[in-house]
Amino acid sequence: MEIKNNAPILTVEGLNVFYGDLQAVNHVAFEVRGGEIFGLLGPNGAGKTSSLSAVEGLIVPQSGNITVAGFNTKDKPLHARANMGVQLQSTSFQPELRVGEIIKLFAGIHAIDMPAEKLNALLSNIKLGDAVNKKFGQLSGGQQQRVSLVIAMLHDPQLVILDEPTTGLDPQSRRQLWERMEDLRTQGHGILLTTHSMEEAEAVCDRIAIIDHGKVIATDTPQALMDKHRNDAEVIAASRKGKITLEDVFIGLTGKTVRS
Amino acid sequence: MQTVIPTTSKAIASLLRADFTTQWRNRRAVILIVLVPVIILSSWKGLVDKLGGAFVLSNCITIGLTAIGLMGYANSIARDREKGVFQRLRVAPVSSWSIMCSRLLVQLAMILIVTIAVFVAGFYIDKISIEPAGYLLAAIAAIAGGALYLSIGQVIVGRIQNPETVNSTCRLVYFAFIMVGMFGELGMLGAEVTKIVRWSPYGVVRRIVSSSLQPAHWNRDDTTALLITFGYTLVFAILGIKWFKWSSK
Repeated sequence: MEIKNNAPILTVEGLNVFYGDLQAVNHVAFEVRGGEIFGLLGPNGAGKTSSLSAVEGLIVPQSGNITVAGFNTKDKPLHARANMGVQLQSTSFQPELRVGEIIKLFAGIHAIDMPAEKLNALLSNIKLGDAVNKKFGQLSGGQQQRVSLVIAMLHDPQLVILDEPTTGLDPQSRRQLWERMEDLRTQGHGILLTTHSMEEAEAVCDRIAIIDHGKVIATDTPQALMDKHRNDAEVIAASRKGKITLEDVFIGLTGKTVRS
Repeated sequence: MQTVIPTTSKAIASLLRADFTTQWRNRRAVILIVLVPVIILSSWKGLVDKLGGAFVLSNCITIGLTAIGLMGYANSIARDREKGVFQRLRVAPVSSWSIMCSRLLVQLAMILIVTIAVFVAGFYIDKISIEPAGYLLAAIAAIAGGALYLSIGQVIVGRIQNPETVNSTCRLVYFAFIMVGMFGELGMLGAEVTKIVRWSPYGVVRRIVSSSLQPAHWNRDDTTALLITFGYTLVFAILGIKWFKWSSK
């Protein structure tokens, strides 16, 4: 997979996040370029969600710089957010609202007109043409993800943040989502993806960063990481099938201990 | 690529449309909030001559305001926070205050609906008739009183994260306000309780609504009650906003 050498859409520099005395994110730095899928991987509690929340503007970091499409998230938070589309891991919409109403709400807060024809076309495009009057909770997991992605992409953002988007999806829905991500990459969007699935990271990510104990411990292409660490004792010990996979490298670098 | 930031009015209009739709779809809960004061109003029909129309109307409005702040507002905020509704909105280019402003405007509409329902029911069921200025001033007083109960609701969702605990706490506080407030004001719980209730959130709100219904009788104690209402609102709102977390995670 060839890395696109486009200009960075997201730049994170020296990011530090504390919760009281606990440092959740420790001088994290990475960038996501246009036309690339960048994976942020890490065990539970490693600092992924805190880093992502800082990028999304949901928490205020103690220090560090985050720039989205040239806008600093501290100085121009609304401009930065207007250039990102976010699909949160545990997001929901008001359960009383119908799919069409939810899309209209988000179109409105992005200053986008959403006449009925455009709405129907959007939903038909994701094979949910009959869902306009359904409540979000009535959709299957895969259908909910498709609607969430449509909402995240309504304003054609330069940066797309997908937080564990395939969790709980069946293989067909997961493959379909991967294809959508790849379409977005082709269109030049930068995608920041978090996932616990090493198979997914290996399949779709152009580059990945592995984060543990709040620090980025490795950043490279999946293949380069496997090549670089294939002879590490911890990685060989983690290998189950004789062939080194990205998961073996991940376990080798972050350890076998189950995190809370 | 040009960055488009929606105007505040456009963003609030979209949020309001969604929040009013949500409220409309929850109309059973709305009907219950309106029904309780109306039922009390009709059950007190025989007491209007003894207690006075303004006292009866103001008690019923205060009960309605308590229900809006504690049962309606606090529970909806706790539920949407738990579901991640706020987090999804906060990653859009819309300010946090716009999100809350929309929520509060819906509650303002609820306050006016309850107040008008009590006025109408009072007129038709209890034959209570007040001069037009009294109705208008009482509606304004109800908004001030409603703000106090919304701020108490804000304190509860600020301190408590779990929506079920918020719900049970709100029910408990609602019940305490109604029972102690209403019966305490009537002197049924002893002189000491009556004194405490008079300057409690229940007592001051009931007093300003009652006195606004008869503006000619407004006195210094009513002004004190109004100032205390503002004071309570300010303190509870500051604490509620300070303690509030947008996510329950």
